[in-house]
Amino acid sequence: MRAEKFGDLLKKGDRVAVSNITGREASVVSVASQKYCANIVGGWALGKGGQCIEIAGQKPIPVFSNVVELIDGLPRKKHPNKILVYSPPSAVYGEVKEIVEYARSTIETLFIVTERVSVEVASKVFQLCSRAGIDVLGCNSLGMINVHDSARVGAVGGDSPSESFRKGSAAIISNSGNMVNTMASYLQSAGLGISYGISTGKDALILTPLKSLLELARDDERTNLVILYVEPGGLYEKEALELLTNTDYPKPVIAYVTGEILQKYDISLGHAGAVVEGGETTATAKMRLFDDYFGIPPFEPNTKYKKNSELPVALKRGIRISSIHHLPDAAALVYSILGLEKDFRPLKPLSLNPWFLDYKGLGKHLPSNLVLHQGDTPSPYKEQLKILNKEVLGLSPSRRNMRKASYASSNDGSTTRLYGHSIEKQMQKGSFVSSVLLGWAGEVPNDFEVELIERCLIASLSNGPGTISAQASKLSTSAGNLPNTAMIASLACIGDVHGGNGRRAVDYLIDIFKEVGLDDPYSSTQKFDLKKIVDDEVVRFSKYRKAAKEADADYRRIPCLGHPVFRNDPVNYDPRERIISEFLKKKKIKNVFLDYYHMLARALKEAGIAKNVWAVNLDGAIASVVLGIYWESLKRKGTTVQRVRDIAFMVFALGRAAGAGGEFLDHQDFGSPMDMRTPVNECINLSRAKD
Amino acid sequence: MPVQITELTFLTYLAKRFKIPVPDYLTTEATGAQIRAALKRWGGKALAKPDILMGKRGKLGMVKNVSDGVDAQRILKSVQSTDINGIFPRTAYLVQHIPAEMEAYSAITYDSRFVGPAITVSLAGGMDVEDIAGEKKITLPIDIYKGLDAYKVDKILTKLECPQKAISQLSQSLVNLWDMFISTGMKMCEVNPWRITPEGKPVACDFKAVFDEPNFRYNNLDFSLPEYPVTSTFFEEEMSSWSTSSHQGQAHVSELDGKLVLPILFGGGASTIIVETLIRNGGEPLFLSDFGGNPTYERMYGTAKICFEHKLADANLILILGGKANNTLIDITFKAISDALRNYVDNHGPIKTPVVVGRGGPRLLNGLLILKDTLDSLHLPYVIFGPDTPVTKAAEYAAKFAKALKKMEHSNES
Repeated sequence: MRAEKFGDLLKKGDRVAVSNITGREASVVSVASQKYCANIVGGWALGKGGQCIEIAGQKPIPVFSNVVELIDGLPRKKHPNKILVYSPPSAVYGEVKEIVEYARSTIETLFIVTERVSVEVASKVFQLCSRAGIDVLGCNSLGMINVHDSARVGAVGGDSPSESFRKGSAAIISNSGNMVNTMASYLQSAGLGISYGISTGKDALILTPLKSLLELARDDERTNLVILYVEPGGLYEKEALELLTNTDYPKPVIAYVTGEILQKYDISLGHAGAVVEGGETTATAKMRLFDDYFGIPPFEPNTKYKKNSELPVALKRGIRISSIHHLPDAAALVYSILGLEKDFRPLKPLSLNPWFLDYKGLGKHLPSNLVLHQGDTPSPYKEQLKILNKEVLGLSPSRRNMRKASYASSNDGSTTRLYGHSIEKQMQKGSFVSSVLLGWAGEVPNDFEVELIERCLIASLSNGPGTISAQASKLSTSAGNLPNTAMIASLACIGDVHGGNGRRAVDYLIDIFKEVGLDDPYSSTQKFDLKKIVDDEVVRFSKYRKAAKEADADYRRIPCLGHPVFRNDPVNYDPRERIISEFLKKKKIKNVFLDYYHMLARALKEAGIAKNVWAVNLDGAIASVVLGIYWESLKRKGTTVQRVRDIAFMVFALGRAAGAGGEFLDHQDFGSPMDMRTPVNECINLSRAKD
Repeated sequence: MPVQITELTFLTYLAKRFKIPVPDYLTTEATGAQIRAALKRWGGKALAKPDILMGKRGKLGMVKNVSDGVDAQRILKSVQSTDINGIFPRTAYLVQHIPAEMEAYSAITYDSRFVGPAITVSLAGGMDVEDIAGEKKITLPIDIYKGLDAYKVDKILTKLECPQKAISQLSQSLVNLWDMFISTGMKMCEVNPWRITPEGKPVACDFKAVFDEPNFRYNNLDFSLPEYPVTSTFFEEEMSSWSTSSHQGQAHVSELDGKLVLPILFGGGASTIIVETLIRNGGEPLFLSDFGGNPTYERMYGTAKICFEHKLADANLILILGGKANNTLIDITFKAISDALRNYVDNHGPIKTPVVVGRGGPRLLNGLLILKDTLDSLHLPYVIFGPDTPVTKAAEYAAKFAKALKKMEHSNES
C-alpha cells in the first residue's frame, strides 16, 4: 500500500475530484460533503463540461468533461490527490485507466463507489493502481471518514456526518457502508467516538484487504480500538488474523460476523462478496477464527466479567460480539478492563425507544412486556419534530425528481388521465368544474361541491371594467395583442391584494380551526363552541390592533373582511357572497368557516372595533368554500395545505381569466388601437428636469 | 441466483470452440440407431447423466453406466425424469466413457488472496477440492493482463509429478480453459475430472462454471443459457426480473420458510442481521430482503407492491427496518411503501396487520411522519423506532410481537 498511516487515506487538506459528479447520487453526496468539509475541488461528467454544482453559501463545484480537462482546467494547487469514482459499471475501467495515465503524479487514493463492477475489471483496476502506486478502496465502497480532521469522501454519514461521527478513539472497518454509520451511532452510548470510519466495499474482490487496514490502525495514534463488521466470503479475515497473531498486534479488536444462520439457506447474503466460496470463507469459519484469536467466548451481556489475570490478556486482543447491540457494552468492557479513557460522557444506553406508537386497541390483548410506551425523541430530531408538528394539518409531501413524472396527468398512448380518471369518462360526465377540481386536487368532488365552485367561478368572472385585472386585459388588447396575451395580462394583475386574498384567508382559517377538533365543516353540530372561538379572536385582534396603533405600526388585517363598495350600511354584505350563503342555506348545509366570518364581523362591531358590520367579501367566501371541500382531505393528510391555499386563489384566477377573455373580445371589436393610453398632457410629472 | 452452466452446455457450445478435448456425447433427441452406433464407436461403454444445476451427481447416484443400446434409451428417460431433492433435471445426455490411467482436477477462479484470477490444479481428480490434501494441489495466481501460459502450467504439473506423457497436452488444455474463462466473462470454472487416457490425452469429463453477470463478455455470449426447471418461487422470479430492470437501488429477496413477519429491510448488512435476529427469536420471516442502494420512488413502490401482493396475506406483522442510511432518502422510500400499502388496501380491502418500523438516515422525520399518517389512515397498529433503537432490538421486539399475535390467533380459533 502507498498509505503508511490511516490519515494518508484521507486527511484535512486533501483535494477530492468526483467522476460522474452530475449523477443522481454523486451530485447529492458531493453537496453534502462540501457542506461538511469543502474538500471537493471539481468533478467531471461526459458531456457536462462547463456546468457547475451550486451549493448555498459556498463556491460552486466546477464540472469538466473528463479527468484530462479537469487536470488541465484546475490550478496546480487544486489538482486532486483523491478521486471518488461514481461512474457507471461499464465506464469504471476506462475512467481508472485515464486517471492513472493522466493524473498518477498527484493521485494517492481512489474510492470506487460504483456497484456491479465485474470481477475482471476489479482485478484489472487493482493491478493497474498497484503498479501506479495508487491505493484503491472499493469497488462498491461507500467511502471513508476521518472524524478528527472533519474530512470525508463518499457518502459515509449521509447528509449530516457529525450526527453519528463524534471525534474519538475507535476505528470502524466494515464490509457494509450502512454499518459504518450505524455502529458509530451505537458507540456513542458507550462514550466512544470514532477516529476513522471505512467502508471497504463488499464485492467479491475487496481491493484493500483487511490486513492492510489493520496495519494502518496499528500505527495510528488516534485509534485505541478497531471495530470490524464482517460478512461471509473471501479469506481476508484469515490473512488478517495471521498478521495479528504473528505481529502480536497491540490494539484490541471487536468483531461482528454476520451470516451464520442464513448459511443453511444457501443464498447470497445481499452483498456480492458474501457468496460463500468455500469452507474457510463461511461465517462459521470466520467466527471460529476470531474466537481462536481472542481466546475467550463471544461477549455475553449477562456475564459479570471479573478482572482476573486472564481477562485483560484476552481483551488486549479483543472480543467477538454476537449481536450488534452488544457493541457499546463490549467496547465499554474493553476500555474499562484495559484502563483506556473514554472519549466523552456516554449517551443513554441503547434500548427500545419508540418515537411514535399506536396499538389501535391491540395493546390490551398483548402481553404487558410487549406494550411499549411513548419514548423520548432525542436531539436533533426532537427539535425537528416540533417544527414539523406545527403542520398538524395536511400532507408532508416527499420530494422527488418530477421532470418526467406527474401524479396529475398520464397518457399511456391511448388514454389521457387526470389522477387516474380518464378524460373521456370525465367528458361523458360533462362537468368542467368537476374535472378541473379533479385535476387540481386529485379527488372527484361531489355534486354539491361542484355547484358551489361553479357559483364562485361565476362570481369571479368580472367586477366591472374598472378592476385592475379587467384593465390589464383591455390594455393588452389596445396594444394589439392576441387573446392569450390579454388573458395572461389579466392574470398577471391579480395578486395578494386583488383577488388573491383567499390564500391568506385559508391560512387564517386553518390557524383558527386547526386545533379545535373540527372534523366535518358541513355539520350543523360541532364539538366546539364557535361563539367562544369568535370571542377569543376578537380579544386577540383587539389587543394586537391596539398595540400596533400605540406603536404607530401597520398591522395585519383580518383577511377578506370589508369591501371597498359595500361598506356604508349598518350591516354590509357582498352580494356575491350572499348568493353562496343562500345556496348553502337552501341546501340546508352549514359551512363553519363562512359562519365564523359572519359571526366575527358582528362581534367586531359589538366590540367597537368596527363602526358597522363589515361585509365578508368574495375571496372570503371562496376560501370558506374551498376549505370546506378539502378540510377532510387535509385532516387525513391526503393533500397539502399549500395546495388548498393555491386552489382558493386559482378558483378566482380561473374565473377572472375567462372574464378577461370577454374584455379582450369586446375591446378588440369596439375599441381603437392604443385607446388605453393616457395622453402625455394628463400625466403628472413629480420630478423636476435636471438637464 | 448465480448464472451457471454445467457439462452439457459446455459440450454443446464451448468445448469445441476453445479446443478443449471432451468425450463424444448424444442428447435425448438421438434415435435408437444413433445411440447404438455411438455405443459401438465408444467401445460399448457410456454414461447417462442428468443436466441439472447440482454438484456431486456421481455421488448422489444420478450418473448411470450404460452398455446396451436398448437400455440406454430407457436409462436416459429414467435419469431425465428422476428428481433429486425435489429438483428435476432439464434433460439427460449420454457421454462416451473415457478409459483413463489417472484423473486430474482443475479450477480457475478469482481468489481474494491475490485480488485476481488463480488456477488450482491437482492430480487427485474426481474428489472435491476441499477433500484434496494441501500438498496434492497447487494454486497459482494468474496475471489478469498477461493470462496463463503453457510454461507456467508445465511447472505446476511438473511439481505435482504429473507423468511426462500427459504434461504437454494437459498444459495446452488448461491454457485453453483459461482462454474460455476470460473470453466468456466467467468468475469460476471447474473441470473435475480430467481423465487422462493411457496415451496421455486429457479429456474434460465433467464441468461447471459460473458467469459474472456484470461482465460485458458474458452479456455478449453468442448463445443463450439454458433454462432449468424453476427452483425459485414466482415471488422470487418476479422480484428478480424487477431487480434487473434497473440499476438504481437493489431489490433482492430470497424465500425463507417462515410464516409470520413480512420484512421490508434495507441495507445488505443490516438486512442480514435483522433476518438472523428474527429467526433466532422465533419471528419466522417469510423471506430475506435487501432493498437499499438509495432506490427511486418508482423502484421502491414497485418493490413494496410485489412484496405486499405476494406475501401480505400470509403475514401477521409487517417489519420495515434498516440501519442508519447514508444516502437512501427515507421520505422517498417510506412514501413509496406507504403508497404501495394504500394501494394494496384499495385493491384487497382493509387489513389489520400491525407494523413495526425502525430507520435512520437523511430526511428521516418526514419519512416517518408520512408512514405514520398512512398507518393512521389505514387504522393499522404501529410502533415506530428511530436510529437510537438498535436494529437488532427492534427485530427482537418484532419477533416477539409476531409470536404473541400468533398465540392470540390460536386462542381465538380454539
